[in-house]
Amino acid sequence: MRWKPARTTLAILALGVSIASIATAAMAEPVTLTLGSWRTEDLAIWQDQVLPAFEASHPDIKVEFAPVNTNEYNAAIQSQIEGGTGPDLITCRPFDVNNEWIGRGYFASLDGLAGLANFTDTAKAAWTVDGATYCVPVAAVLAGFFYNIDIFNELGLTPPTTAAEFTTVLQKIQDSGKYTPLAEGSSESWQLAYNGLYSIGPAYWKGEEGRLGLIDGTKKLTDPDFVAAFAAFQAWKPFLPSGQEALSYSDMTQLFTLGRAAILPDGSWNINQVTSTGLNVGVFGPPAVEAGGQRYLQEMPDMAIGINAASAKQDAAKVFLDWVSGPEFQQIYVNSAPGFFAMSNQAVTYDNPLAQHFADLKTGALLTPRLALDRLSAGTPPLDDEIWRQLQVMMTSDTTPETVTGELQTGLASWYGPQQAK
Amino acid sequence: MTRPATARWSLFLFVLPALAVYLLFAVVPLFSSIVMSFFDTDGEAGNLFVGLSNYVYLFTQPVVSARFWNALANSAKYFAVHVIVEVPIGLLLAALLTSGVLRRSEGVYRTLLFIPATLSVVIVGFIWRLIINPLWGLVGFPLLGNPSTALTTISLMSVWQYVGIPMVFLYSALLAVPNDLVEASRLDGASPWRIFWDIKFPLIVPQFGLIVILTFIWTFNGFDLVFALNGSAPGPNYSTDILGTFFYRSFFGSSGQVADLDIGATVATVIFTIMLLVTGGYFWLVQRRLRAHMV
Repeated sequence: MRWKPARTTLAILALGVSIASIATAAMAEPVTLTLGSWRTEDLAIWQDQVLPAFEASHPDIKVEFAPVNTNEYNAAIQSQIEGGTGPDLITCRPFDVNNEWIGRGYFASLDGLAGLANFTDTAKAAWTVDGATYCVPVAAVLAGFFYNIDIFNELGLTPPTTAAEFTTVLQKIQDSGKYTPLAEGSSESWQLAYNGLYSIGPAYWKGEEGRLGLIDGTKKLTDPDFVAAFAAFQAWKPFLPSGQEALSYSDMTQLFTLGRAAILPDGSWNINQVTSTGLNVGVFGPPAVEAGGQRYLQEMPDMAIGINAASAKQDAAKVFLDWVSGPEFQQIYVNSAPGFFAMSNQAVTYDNPLAQHFADLKTGALLTPRLALDRLSAGTPPLDDEIWRQLQVMMTSDTTPETVTGELQTGLASWYGPQQAK
Repeated sequence: MTRPATARWSLFLFVLPALAVYLLFAVVPLFSSIVMSFFDTDGEAGNLFVGLSNYVYLFTQPVVSARFWNALANSAKYFAVHVIVEVPIGLLLAALLTSGVLRRSEGVYRTLLFIPATLSVVIVGFIWRLIINPLWGLVGFPLLGNPSTALTTISLMSVWQYVGIPMVFLYSALLAVPNDLVEASRLDGASPWRIFWDIKFPLIVPQFGLIVILTFIWTFNGFDLVFALNGSAPGPNYSTDILGTFFYRSFFGSSGQVADLDIGATVATVIFTIMLLVTGGYFWLVQRRLRAHMV
């Protein structure tokens, strides 16, 4: 029979190949770390820019970037770690999800990691429980106001620095009759909160003071500072395009990029979109309440990296994280992904001029993350969701800031302990 | 004639593949989700039998129950718009198609009217969103941004898309009406109006009832168009939240809501029960009494 010897040869060959591959694996010196992430769109950035830079200076460590789809990430990491197959390095979600993971013991301690000193407590807050930080901050997103420089020049306007100036600027654009002052619509409620209230509000509730006050129960949403913030947001209503109730986020961006609206309240991640039509775009930060008053800026922690407590390669992982906390990594990463900003207190320069302008807004401003994502949304009803909904109600009907904040406070106090004690 | 045993076995064999797929992907998941609704699967203790407490939570937790009743009411409204608008228009179109007034263009109209039903909901949602966009579209009023018009607007988009379904359903029923009855009534001098309501319609009443109950099932299972337009927490102020999106939010979570599989299974079971009761009640009380006039 002809086929029998042929099959035997094949089997021997296959055996030989597998032995050879085992041998090469055993001979290869470098430790290989896997890095779990939800940023599938960053695959090229990590493979072509970040990791080669790291491996060039650390030939004994190889890192493999292994992303999964954003929506499946939390579930995937949880099942992998519970099943003992988690990656050596875990990309950390901000706040509540990560606090849950810390509580479950997913992360190894980062005690003694020198690079952590490069970050302020506010920058580390999203990944810190009881004073211990478990992830090295990678990047944050900022919120501010994109404006059309040509329209501002035509009407002789300068970017406003106080709430009063902001209103004056809006009124002047309105009076010109040619442009819509604010490209803003209420169809997608998330951006009313993230790009609207959470951007201008910190000036009224004094950033971290108000946010932490809500968390420890010493402040209420019905306090005058919070009501004033909601009222300041409601004051935008006369300056919105007609039919704003049904305008979506992409409608707003288009209205601005077509040059029909002067100002777009937005997040830094939209940098590439707003400049895609060649528009002359600048950016200004949320105005201070009064002249000479403190400026605030929303810096929302987006991702960080921690070490899987079950990983057998703790030392190599720490070397990698030390590098991630340094300027070389930050410089490469934020310039490959415009709209993301380094969180360390070392100077990082941005090639994209608009990104550099955005980063400059941090100077002299107190930074604060989004109001309701830390602990206040871990029950039913989640405060963040409720703020989205109530802002949409406020912007599309005659509901007053007092009613809205009253209902939000009642909802929060219905489940959140520190708000009940008072 | 009695079948030999082998023939009966081969009959079973022919049905088996489809039956296996149906059991595996429809019946088993249905029952396991019913079972799941009586358990707490994500607690500390692993799988814990909790009796009816998931149901108690769904119907008594103030926020959750308010959202549930709101979604149920909206689903009822969604169904009502379909029954009031889609089914009558479908009947009208079917009557026109079979009346003979269209002559040879009948096939063209039948095809054109059915095409939207074959489009993806994402496309339908996108097209209509542009048409009624206050900025770029034909209507200045923010139809989707106003809580009192948003759900009706979405329902009418769905009606536009699916009107072809009751149309072809009733069209084929009308084609089956014997021509000699129609001819006879025409010779007796009956008007087309009278012929339709006194001859044709009574003969298709069972099919008409069936399309109404099918519309009920489709709309109470509705999800995709609302999700495509407004996401999983459909605003404004949950005014377009229907049972499908409420279930999705419970089971898969949304931006700010943590997924809870047990509550999701509970919601699914409640929706299933409602549909079972209504459909069963309809067949028990109405459909079996409807008899097409025997010819």
